[in-house]
Amino acid sequence: MAANYWASTQRRHWQFSRESLNEVRQQLEDEEKTIVQQYPLPDRRLLSILFNQLLVKLGKRLNVKQQALATAQIYVRRFYSRVEIRRTNPYLVLATAFYLACKMEECPQHIRSVVAEARNAWPEYIASDVSKLGECEFYLISEMNSQLIVHHPYRTLHEIQDKLKMAQEDISLAWSIINDHYLTDLPLLVAPHVIAVTAIFLAVTLKPTQTGLQAAASTVAGLSSATSGANDSIGTVSGVPNTQQKKVQYLVSWLAEGEIDIKAVVECSQEIISLYDVWEQYNEKTCKEQIARFVKARGLDK
Amino acid sequence: MNGTNPPSSAATARALEDKQSLKRSVQAAFDETQDARKLPLNNGYTSKVRVLDRYEVVGFISSGTYGKVYKAVGVKGQSGEFAIKKFKPDKEGETIQYTGISQSAVREMALCSELSHPNMIHLVEIILEDKCIYMVFEYAEHDLLQIIQHHSQPTRHPIAASAIKSILFQLLNGLLYLHTNWVLHRDLKPANIMVTSKGEVRIGDLGLARLFYKPLHSLFNGDKVVVTIWYRAPELLLGSRHYTPAVDLWAVGCIFAELLSLRPIFKGEEAKMDSKKTVPFQKNQMQKIVEILGMPTKEKWPGLTHQPEYTQLQSMSSAVREAGQGKTGLEAWYWNTLKSTGYQDSPPSASPGPQGLDLLAKLLEYDPTKRLTAEQALQHPYFTANGERVTANCFEGMTTQYPTRRVSRDDNDIRTGSLPGTKRGGLPDDSLTGRATKRMKD
Repeated sequence: MAANYWASTQRRHWQFSRESLNEVRQQLEDEEKTIVQQYPLPDRRLLSILFNQLLVKLGKRLNVKQQALATAQIYVRRFYSRVEIRRTNPYLVLATAFYLACKMEECPQHIRSVVAEARNAWPEYIASDVSKLGECEFYLISEMNSQLIVHHPYRTLHEIQDKLKMAQEDISLAWSIINDHYLTDLPLLVAPHVIAVTAIFLAVTLKPTQTGLQAAASTVAGLSSATSGANDSIGTVSGVPNTQQKKVQYLVSWLAEGEIDIKAVVECSQEIISLYDVWEQYNEKTCKEQIARFVKARGLDK
Repeated sequence: MNGTNPPSSAATARALEDKQSLKRSVQAAFDETQDARKLPLNNGYTSKVRVLDRYEVVGFISSGTYGKVYKAVGVKGQSGEFAIKKFKPDKEGETIQYTGISQSAVREMALCSELSHPNMIHLVEIILEDKCIYMVFEYAEHDLLQIIQHHSQPTRHPIAASAIKSILFQLLNGLLYLHTNWVLHRDLKPANIMVTSKGEVRIGDLGLARLFYKPLHSLFNGDKVVVTIWYRAPELLLGSRHYTPAVDLWAVGCIFAELLSLRPIFKGEEAKMDSKKTVPFQKNQMQKIVEILGMPTKEKWPGLTHQPEYTQLQSMSSAVREAGQGKTGLEAWYWNTLKSTGYQDSPPSASPGPQGLDLLAKLLEYDPTKRLTAEQALQHPYFTANGERVTANCFEGMTTQYPTRRVSRDDNDIRTGSLPGTKRGGLPDDSLTGRATKRMKD
């Protein structure tokens, strides 16, 4: 269904357990042992950071909104859970996912402008002939079984921000945490509303000092123990500035009322925090070089 | 049609009339592109599934702007009958090219894959093969247009009141499902409402459907004209930019009226788009509505004066069609129609009765905010009048045997390229020509 996540193809076909996702990927790599060994790649999250930056570039040039970029990132992640990346030209896949996502998110771009912008940004990898992108679109849709409607956490954030009396700065921070979660496997692992709650939770606890990760991490630990105990145990959480305690308390009691899986929220928080750790190792040049090696050597840009 | 692609050469139903049509077998439509498979491009896309490995095409059903629909039977373990919608591929000269899939095709593929309901046409699979898109649907033997036509010939005889009740209930039920899932159909008309041989109603053709949950752009952008003109809601005719699910309920009202009278209730003539592609005010269509419903007033429809084309209304004749006996236009139309179509007054179940009029009036409500929603319409006493129950099979207890869908076995124009004179700006609207062609065919 289009409005109901529970009946959606996203939940029925594109939500994995961590184990099953690993299995699927392992199988893809096993089928392509030689090239996998020949062309090592950086951590998937680092690649995702690059992909995101490339998409943002296209999005800016064509003035496309964040939600379409988010959908494109989901398409890329789904596609690469079915197809080994070293068999593809990631630049073409990105441009195609972008083109398709824009249509689905009702901000269509002409195929020629997408190709022109992509070629402008990555001349080595994109042919001027639009039919390459058109062909790749068939590939993408086919691998995704035409399941193109994506549920995003933005909607949940929008729906509950008022109920939670969130401040504008908290909303913006939660929004950017949601943007960041597309760099991880979380969209393939958890429901969008859990992501939204995680983002709100992190936004509220990370603020205002931005002393950041440590505080959040200890809050996560606190929340974790709070799930088994009473609500008031949150009051004793260490590392959270005093002014924030009220907000956090409000959030936790809201969580306790609802059907939200707090354990899932904790795991998501940890995933996002470790993303920020990994981010420090990000080196655009290395990522690009590693991609260039297999694309060029295998003639995938032709 | 959409902002993505240049309007693909619009092969309308008129393709059938094209005198220069090449005569080739139906199968050839599928064979035509098969050769390309033997030359896989470097890293090229090849389908894992082939249409002809799974289905045997037995005939041609219809064509539209999007492409063509064929009847097929399953082979190799697949059993049953299917309708395969083949989207028209884009051609450059004689070669089929990848030019990007149209936004409406993408929407239809995505929505059909996502939605599932007993009153929606069931999608079996989508096959992307050799630059062509094939959507495989369950086969439905009838559609409302066909049923209405059967009752118009050779002499006019009414569709059983119980059948209409069942059809309408199932239609509203499917529509409720769409609307609760934030999907607007936007092109409801008799030809798009299928009926299976078991009397189950299935809403088909989501080619114009789209999600209305907070779209990034206003729903007005992109598709400037929506819904076949005879079924187009007054707010759309008056240029409304923010239309709502209520447009689909107006169409249901028109379909209800057509099931009763066997003729479109508001059969206007479409004003064509001019060379500047500005959307013209559909004066003739609006006039047809006013003739029966009377002129809308700002007292009854407070939003009326905010409609972009409001001033156009004032230039129109407010003459309501002759409506004797002090009855309002619609009431007079309703009772005259029941009489002329041949509904009997007794037993009460033989006629749609006064409750039918009440429901119709509330569906053909000018003010979209007051028009019944699908949910409200399903609760209407019309469906429970006389202590009857609505049957899940609209043919239940009927003696009428409807003819099976006409499927032509050969001599089809299966050309997939551009057809002369069919390029049009804006949304294709094949209501007028489509209807005429269909008659010819049937």
